[in-house]
Amino acid sequence: MFNTMTRAAVAAAAFGMVLAPAMADAAQCTNDTWKKVMSRGKLVVGVKADYKPWGFRDKSGAIIGMEIDMAQDVADTMGVKLETIAVQSSNRMQFLEQGKIDLMIATMSDRADRRKIVGIVGPNYYTSGTNVMAPKALKISKWSDLKGKPVCGKQGAFYNKIVTERHGAKVIAFTGNAEAKQALRDRKCIAWVYDDSSIGSDLSSGNWDDFEMPLSSEDDNPWGLAVPLAEKNCVFGQFMSGMQHNWLQSGKLIALEKKWGIKPTAFLAGHKKRLKDWLDK
Amino acid sequence: MIEFIRTFFLDLYEVAPRWNFIFFHDKTQWERVLSGFWVTVELSILCVIFSVIIGIVGAWLQGSKLKVPRMIVQGYIQFFRNTPPFVQLLFFYFALGQFTPTFSPDGWTQVPIISNVGWAIISLSFFAGAFNVEIFRSGIEAVPFSTQEAAESLGMSRLQAYIYIVFPLAFRVSLPALNNNLVNLVKTTTQALAIAVPELLYEFLGIWNDYPSALYPSLTMVFFIYIGLVGILVISMNRWERALRIPGYGT
Amino acid sequence: MSARAIPGVNTRPTTDLPVLLPLDKTRAAGPDAMMVSRWVAGLPWWTPVALLALIFAWPLTASAASKFTYADAVTELIGWLPFLISKGFLFNVLISFFAMLIGTAAGVSLGLAQISNNVLIRRAAKFTTQAFRNSPWLVLLYIVLLTVPHEISFGAFYVTVPGWMKAVFGLSLPIMANISEVVRGAIQSVPTAQWEAAEALAFSRMQTLWQIILPQIFKRMIPPWMNWYAILTMATPLCSLLGVDELINLSRQAMEGSDNHPELLVPFYGFALLIFFAYCYPIARWTMSLERKYAVKL
Repeated sequence: MFNTMTRAAVAAAAFGMVLAPAMADAAQCTNDTWKKVMSRGKLVVGVKADYKPWGFRDKSGAIIGMEIDMAQDVADTMGVKLETIAVQSSNRMQFLEQGKIDLMIATMSDRADRRKIVGIVGPNYYTSGTNVMAPKALKISKWSDLKGKPVCGKQGAFYNKIVTERHGAKVIAFTGNAEAKQALRDRKCIAWVYDDSSIGSDLSSGNWDDFEMPLSSEDDNPWGLAVPLAEKNCVFGQFMSGMQHNWLQSGKLIALEKKWGIKPTAFLAGHKKRLKDWLDK
Repeated sequence: MIEFIRTFFLDLYEVAPRWNFIFFHDKTQWERVLSGFWVTVELSILCVIFSVIIGIVGAWLQGSKLKVPRMIVQGYIQFFRNTPPFVQLLFFYFALGQFTPTFSPDGWTQVPIISNVGWAIISLSFFAGAFNVEIFRSGIEAVPFSTQEAAESLGMSRLQAYIYIVFPLAFRVSLPALNNNLVNLVKTTTQALAIAVPELLYEFLGIWNDYPSALYPSLTMVFFIYIGLVGILVISMNRWERALRIPGYGT
Repeated sequence: MSARAIPGVNTRPTTDLPVLLPLDKTRAAGPDAMMVSRWVAGLPWWTPVALLALIFAWPLTASAASKFTYADAVTELIGWLPFLISKGFLFNVLISFFAMLIGTAAGVSLGLAQISNNVLIRRAAKFTTQAFRNSPWLVLLYIVLLTVPHEISFGAFYVTVPGWMKAVFGLSLPIMANISEVVRGAIQSVPTAQWEAAEALAFSRMQTLWQIILPQIFKRMIPPWMNWYAILTMATPLCSLLGVDELINLSRQAMEGSDNHPELLVPFYGFALLIFFAYCYPIARWTMSLERKYAVKL
């Protein structure tokens, strides 16, 4: 009784505030975004410009990277021109919702609460785990060693709150990775929490010889690209699912990994094997 | 009651996925908001108290017969009155902060003895204190010399005359200007965000970075809380001012 | 609060034993907005040179374990300069220019509305001014960025509203409120004798305002107006928190493109400081010289 009362009250209150996008239903596909892209002859994709090597700037200012190559492939398949817009973790979903971008390939981790806002379609094209870069001198060996200690991180990363809640670490979030790494150098924190592949490439660069990545990666969280929520079960969503399946099967992503210097992951190799065409001998 | 609020906002999130008032139904986020709120309040209160103390002491020193205290106070006022508070904040934290001694609780991390909250309090108190010195000084000068002479002739030392006669009158007369300065101070404390002081806006920023669905509710809350805080301060200051107003003085 | 004659306070004392002297208002004034321009203008001419020297010769406290030297960091910065200036700082300037344009137009109207004879208009204008003056600029920016649509369509024809243009609307709101206060303060500083004389000469209210009052105060409003422009320019990096591509955001992306070595921090942010200073310093000097020139007592 009380529950239905609350629900009625909430519905009445929310009536004026509801900004929820229309629920996609295969029977009611209007395919607005697809039609818009086709008629304008231009696909606008939101990509990261601050996450090397998935999306970053070159000296001329153009955005390049693995995800941009993927976006170019999508545009070529659709037969339209590609336009990339730099997005950040804080605004990538809004831009998609508002229609500023038609497609989002921006290193976004696939999470349940995000699926309610944007149309994340599978199969997931990549995955990454959380790890830390810590000084060798501290001899950190397990995640519980971080309990109560200050750990530097970048604002907006979803694992910041997981590390805080699960392991009791105190995450100090900085606006950029350079600031976080400087704080680590200044000994303001005992470790830097980030993606294991980025930490790996930093350690192999030779500038961090006093540091190591001692823990086992946690939370292998697959990434998801997203179309507007209304398109999820319609042409655009199904098309992107097909693109991802083909990328995984043909090994195109493995080739891109190699091109951009990312350490080969078992994830992509495993998917290629799993999706092997039965006629391929 | 609390349960009702929790379920109300959870249901609201179900109906409107962009209006996730997560800090009302999730305990960790609520604690974050509360800690940010307390840091803001603590920053404002401590800065107000310290700046008033600095103002009183400085005004006293400015009337000293010796040259050195007068010069020190004058130099202090010139520096802090003529530079923007944002620059002072950055200067204190980055330049002076480099030279603070550190201690190490675990053999590796270096923790400075004055944290960024400490530097924010120091910087903002000194900033507002410089204006308070001038405000109190002009209040003291509104007390005619004959009154001080009368106090002296009654056998009071200079300090006693200051505490019992001169300063209460000066305070009452300079109250409107003081109120203005203190409200300005509270508005300026939001700039402490630049040196990562975990105040209210910083915590909300963290919340909407972690939970993009809580963006609109966070913005709404920040907007109304700030307007509310400043509004309450202005109204209570005006009330106090009106109670202590001397009719016909200074119109 | 009419002028009741109180001997010794606002009229001649009747005895030589006064109770309280009048308060020195200019001394007891709080921080004024002009402080920013005054401080920037007061910096010595060699400040940009010192800043440049600092960027190039930052004491090398980098750890020995790093192969990426400070010289490498400065070389990287120089490589990124064309991009940072043409796509970064240019947008900061553009944002400040247009926000000032729109803010001034709206602010002047709001300021005139604040002295209106109509009670409703006056109250609404006063409320708007106070609300936007006291709100944090960041929150106003966010609200505008989220509510303004990204493109406006006229049938088949559509116009995109880029992020920096939304930032312009967002920043013009507090500017509008502050300019409105400048205008109101300037109009109220004109002695009432002018209004009465105009009334005696049968000028209507609009005529008085536009032909007599405003021309007198126009020149005196210019220094505070330029001061707000300097404050606005220095506030444009706030847009970086909202994802608008301006200097600070592009500096971060450039640092990422150069692998985010901590050694890059001082050159890149030092350069940002330098270029903002180089832009605001001449403006501040000009502002203070105009203030001296136009400080005429009415």
